[in-house]
Amino acid sequence: MPSSDTERRATLPAAVPLHARPAGDFVRAAAQFPAEISVGANGKWANAKSILEILALGALGGTELVIAASGDRAAEAADHLADLVPQLA
Amino acid sequence: MDGESRNGFVGLVLVSHSAEIADGLAKLVAQVAGPSVPIVAAGGGPEGTFGTDGGRVLEALQKAAGSAGAVVLMDLGSSVLSVRAALGELPEETVARLRIADAPLVEGAIAAGVTSSIGASVDEVLAAAQEARTVAKL
Repeated sequence: MPSSDTERRATLPAAVPLHARPAGDFVRAAAQFPAEISVGANGKWANAKSILEILALGALGGTELVIAASGDRAAEAADHLADLVPQLA
Repeated sequence: MDGESRNGFVGLVLVSHSAEIADGLAKLVAQVAGPSVPIVAAGGGPEGTFGTDGGRVLEALQKAAGSAGAVVLMDLGSSVLSVRAALGELPEETVARLRIADAPLVEGAIAAGVTSSIGASVDEVLAAAQEARTVAKL
């Protein structure tokens, strides 16, 4: 797990894997923040701002994600993304 | 998608030997990147054959080179040659807004599309496409 200032957990909706459009929505949301943000799933970590790393997580619907943020506005970024994950569609 | 660079987002040009690959990839990228990113597919040879069509590639580059610029992704061999040839026929100010990505077509286009959708510059979109060479899939 990367070192981080703030960590949040959030679960994907059962029917929404972190692929295609939801993955793009997630990365766009992460990119709005200056913080360094990592996403963990299935024992792997991805840069939240890298669509290819996010897709490589292979997070299926219902997977719990760990969102770890550090740096500028880290808590705000982690909160925002943790709120977004269950709403992805 | 009409592919016009009608807004401030960096466009993508997808050049493949197969029209189906270019068109299908354009749809896939549009789904991941959202509707803001202009995407122009230029796949297949003249008369629907596999190959590349210099005229179609030239037209795609002209169409995509809007104010924000565009990143061009290619599959193999003669796609690269077609893009190079087309660049030679375009005015300097158009060429200056285009970037040619040395990247895998599918992964590069996805990375470039999402990066453009964030409002990144043409050089940032190019960098995202080329990072696709090193991002592990497994």
